[in-house]
Amino acid sequence: MSKTVRNADAASAGSSSATPLLQVRDLKMHFPIKEAAGLGRTRKVVQAVDGVSFDLQRGGSLGLVGESGCGKSTTGRMITRLLTPTAGQILFKGTDIAQLKERELRPFRRELQIVFQDPYSSLNPRQTVSNIISTPLRVHNLVKKGKELERVQELLERVGLNPEHHNRYPNEFSGGQRQRIGIARALAVEPEVIIADEPVSALDVSIQAQVMNLLEDLRRDLGIAFVFIAHDLGVVRHFCDQVAVMYLGKIVEQGPREQIYSAPQHPYTQALLSAAPDLGTIRGVPPKERIRLVGDVPSPIDPPSGCRFRTRCWKAEDICATQEPPLMTQAQSGPGHTAACHFAEPKIDLTAATA
Amino acid sequence: MTIGQPDSTVGVQDHPASAEPVRPATVAHGKSPLRIAMDRLRKDNVAVICAVIILFFILVAVFAPLLSKIEGQDFGTFHPDLVDEYGYPTIGLTPDHWFSVEPKTGRDNFARWVYGARPSLIVAFSATVFGTIVGVVMGLLAGFLGGWVDRVISWIIDFVLSLPYLLFAIALVPIVESMRGGSFNLTPEEQASTRFFVLIFVLSFFGWAGLARIIRGEVLSLREREFVLAAKAIGVPTRQVLFKELLPNLVAPIVISASLSLPAYVTLEAGLSFLGVGLVEPIPSWGQTIANATNWFKADPIYLWLPVVGITALVLALALLGDSIRDAFDPKTRR
Repeated sequence: MSKTVRNADAASAGSSSATPLLQVRDLKMHFPIKEAAGLGRTRKVVQAVDGVSFDLQRGGSLGLVGESGCGKSTTGRMITRLLTPTAGQILFKGTDIAQLKERELRPFRRELQIVFQDPYSSLNPRQTVSNIISTPLRVHNLVKKGKELERVQELLERVGLNPEHHNRYPNEFSGGQRQRIGIARALAVEPEVIIADEPVSALDVSIQAQVMNLLEDLRRDLGIAFVFIAHDLGVVRHFCDQVAVMYLGKIVEQGPREQIYSAPQHPYTQALLSAAPDLGTIRGVPPKERIRLVGDVPSPIDPPSGCRFRTRCWKAEDICATQEPPLMTQAQSGPGHTAACHFAEPKIDLTAATA
Repeated sequence: MTIGQPDSTVGVQDHPASAEPVRPATVAHGKSPLRIAMDRLRKDNVAVICAVIILFFILVAVFAPLLSKIEGQDFGTFHPDLVDEYGYPTIGLTPDHWFSVEPKTGRDNFARWVYGARPSLIVAFSATVFGTIVGVVMGLLAGFLGGWVDRVISWIIDFVLSLPYLLFAIALVPIVESMRGGSFNLTPEEQASTRFFVLIFVLSFFGWAGLARIIRGEVLSLREREFVLAAKAIGVPTRQVLFKELLPNLVAPIVISASLSLPAYVTLEAGLSFLGVGLVEPIPSWGQTIANATNWFKADPIYLWLPVVGITALVLALALLGDSIRDAFDPKTRR
């Protein structure tokens, strides 16, 4: 199995000093839509992602959290260039891949891989497992002819599947096993970054733990950096050192895990954290104050002026409507912790102390 | 919230190397969806019977010269001695002429019947093959590439579907003949072969559009599936995505459409020949025979029955087989 492992030494050595592996700068994705307006048509844009920036260190892991439709997955798909960003930069090892043509993008396809949410649609039902996993090997000429099966079996073993099952079809596997096949496919090209687009949210809870453990092992053994997209705060807390909270296409708060979870500054993060269920209440601990947000997420076609969260924020004042708060270090925040709010202040006791 | 910190040992606890239950090693091969469909089809009695009938007609067409040689006749020889002065055949079913002879000309019925199976099958199969290939490629391109390619191809599909098929078929024969020098300057053989290719062209030209539309729709839905995105993220070239990732998922609609259009083309070929714009004299065909035989039906029924039975059995078998194939590919079928 040792051949599968690209050693993590290099990764851990370079993590502190050198430039980040992946830098995302002011990334924007605007989808044009046409709407019937009277007799004619109007062109509008859905601002799915509007100015997202973050860094990802070698071997690090960044959690992108936020509710449905806030642009997490779109961000992930832009980084793997399944979508071409409207504006902004994606610097991978210093090269901007945001606007590269497919041909020039080829070498980067090896370095950036994606694991999808739904294991039932992410595997081609008409191909055997061996065929699915060897496709990346063939496309990038990674293995000599005739040696493909060996490598496929090695990868299957690496993700905890029986290598004997290489000639089965996806319909013969369970959800968790299928997700492992998807992970093996992403691993086949020995990527440096894996975008995990809600990799466990379609799985049942007991299986979630297994797949999370597998991802954790891969991160530790292979030094792969992860961008982990999720809406489950518990899973993100378990897996990521950095967390970025998104709301309506923008990052509202970003920082090291401990700070986000123990001293969230942005009202939206606070509301998210307070919404997480607390097992303590079953044991008789009095339930903590729960912040209830009212109203719906505004439409990304016509987002609110100023701060995008102001329509649902209990702290909102006039300045929120006129001035957009920049994502910056706040007065009481620790190193590397930024929040985009005019009235940022940490709120301590939102998550269970036992966590 | 009771999920531990990742740097504690909680996250990296020992977990079994394999997530799968241990299974007996005897289950070696997986079954592809195509194999499953074939297995179902083999268990379907109607499908098997229909396949046998179709095979029988294919063999008849292939071995037509052999069969007529066994009978000792050939489809073009006139036997004026076997018809009376009004044109009626004077013999019934004899060892020399198994199914009697044609009225007026006295050509052998059996030989004409076995040779008549040929154009029906050749026209139907080649029109199906051409129509399917063009339809699949157009549908794949339109659905996958989208944008202006999709708009142009969709427009062409709509255009083709809006053309009146029968009018077009009838009009095309004289047009092509005049392009080849006018029907008076052509030998009967040339005329017949022209008709033959025009027929195939007309049938496949009107056949591809429907399939292309079906394929386009399927591709539109498949395109958004995550395995296609995964292939793109890996960097698989577009052509490979189309033919290796998408095409295998389209086998069911393609096979169904082909198996349903075969019987339609057999009938259409016979219908056009009956109307006089299909195949002409030197080539024997069932449609022509039916057209002639309707005038003689009262006095000489066997002349009409032969081609009618041939076409009916063939079309029925093809259509029922097509139905069975569709059922076999549809996982929702309950039997």
